[in-house]
Amino acid sequence: MNTSYTLAELLTVNLARSFKDREVGFTGLVTGGAAALYGTAIPLAAMSLAKEMHAPGLTILLAGWSHNPDLSALDQLPDSEFDSLLRDLPCEAHMMSYPGTWAIRRGDIDFGFSSAVQVDRVGNINSVCIGEYEHPKVRLVGPILQPEHMALFGREYVMLPHHHQRNFVDQVDFISGVGHPGGAAGRAELGLRGGGPEWVVTPKCILDFDRTKGAIRYKSVHNASDRKNPDMFFLDLDPSAVDITPPPTTEELDVLRRKVDPKKVLLR
Amino acid sequence: MNNNNSKSKVGTLAEAAALIADGSRLAIGGFAIYQHPMALLRELVKQGKRELTVVGTVNGNDVDLLAGAGCLKEVETSYVGLERFGLAPNFRRAVEAGELKVVDYPEVLSFDRFRASQEAMTFWPCDYLGGTDVLAKNPAIKAFQCPITQRTLYAVPPADPDVVVLHAIAADEDGNVLFPKRHLLPQGLDLNMGRGCDVVIVTVEKIVSKGYVKRHAAQNLLPGYKITMIVEAPFGAHPCPVLGRYDTDIAHFEAYATAGKSVETFKAYLDEYVYDLPDHQAYLEKVGAHRLLNLFETDSL
Repeated sequence: MNTSYTLAELLTVNLARSFKDREVGFTGLVTGGAAALYGTAIPLAAMSLAKEMHAPGLTILLAGWSHNPDLSALDQLPDSEFDSLLRDLPCEAHMMSYPGTWAIRRGDIDFGFSSAVQVDRVGNINSVCIGEYEHPKVRLVGPILQPEHMALFGREYVMLPHHHQRNFVDQVDFISGVGHPGGAAGRAELGLRGGGPEWVVTPKCILDFDRTKGAIRYKSVHNASDRKNPDMFFLDLDPSAVDITPPPTTEELDVLRRKVDPKKVLLR
Repeated sequence: MNNNNSKSKVGTLAEAAALIADGSRLAIGGFAIYQHPMALLRELVKQGKRELTVVGTVNGNDVDLLAGAGCLKEVETSYVGLERFGLAPNFRRAVEAGELKVVDYPEVLSFDRFRASQEAMTFWPCDYLGGTDVLAKNPAIKAFQCPITQRTLYAVPPADPDVVVLHAIAADEDGNVLFPKRHLLPQGLDLNMGRGCDVVIVTVEKIVSKGYVKRHAAQNLLPGYKITMIVEAPFGAHPCPVLGRYDTDIAHFEAYATAGKSVETFKAYLDEYVYDLPDHQAYLEKVGAHRLLNLFETDSL
């Protein structure tokens, strides 16, 4: 087992293993440092790695519209959704209008990635405001595509660039994307046919959900020492007996470094 | 009108802004920080428009400028932010102060609201809002039972703007608007907006001849009968990019975001770039020919 790998490589490999052949994965264009790494770069690297390893028929939707972009043509991570850089990046299809290539309500998109300022104990996410909706302490950008990500996609990976207790709350201040309130039965009662958050990925751990109760829980921690880290105990979360996030294999690291990201554009 | 041809739809920025009354529901073309009709929005600021409602899809410095100048009462959209330049500072301050109301829509439904207007429908149906605060906080969205399947569906109100303002590359004096062959979602959404409203104002980089339009008829996606007024405004989206013509003015956006940090510094920005300048030509001279020419990008129609 190779023990020399970065946190970003560990997350990339674990995400990649969870994608299946012929799936369609959707990633937005998140900007700025760690947010861009977790929201865009790691998802792109993971989908590319899956295509090389076991899922050659997977379709990558970059910024939602560039189908299977040629990432090897990039010298930098794009930071604009709709300007000339991304327009001129070679790809298999452009979505030029709405409605366009994908039929989002028919379930064309198997999985997506989102970020959030708050996640609560049933996996609801919030990107709208902190504090009371009508008089917020902090007004954020708005729901964007989160309602669709969390209701219409087959599953969702919520990517948090920091593992702060303040990002995990009892109840989010605004539900812009629905988690698993009341578990699978609760989602069905809300008229949601499937989907919802699969994992919440942070620099410390991967969380998933008890689908009967709908409760968030630790799935794995990246470092054994975090099983006893007092900062990891909040809400009802208890890391003391969870697995260690499975490390990359030598082959995965080799493909990732040599084929997927040889110029270190994605995982710097 | 500055043109003697009785058929001409060509007007000035001041004439276009005069078509937008205080209290109007205004839809602004472009997306996030891309291709907004900024020259016309600066004219709205200059004329001191008040109590506007912006009905949008994904907004950015368009809404932020109007919010910072006190022109807005309400915004109905899925996003207001400056993407890589951070949160929209004036929008954020106005909402946190309780001076600006936001009605939050999911992104796809914000697009569908303009499809509803285009189809003259009184609502657009959807089935996926259960459990969200988008639904819980918006009394204009009504639950109903599907008459075919008996499932619970939600009726989302149409966008129904009073006026649509867009920015495009080229149009002729009859109002035929050309779109680049390789366009992206923002230009596609401009079409949804432009096709669903009776008053549509389009600012363009260049007014071209009727012969030029006929040579590009396949790219005339908003024919003249849809258009109320055409205004020539070169670099009319600055500091936003126009796909196929020029890129984002990064330095200007950075200065804008910094200026937005306080009411005082933003007032100084407005003085410098709006109130103290007589017109769009003076704005372009202030930004500077060298700066503008450095923004050119080279895709073609």
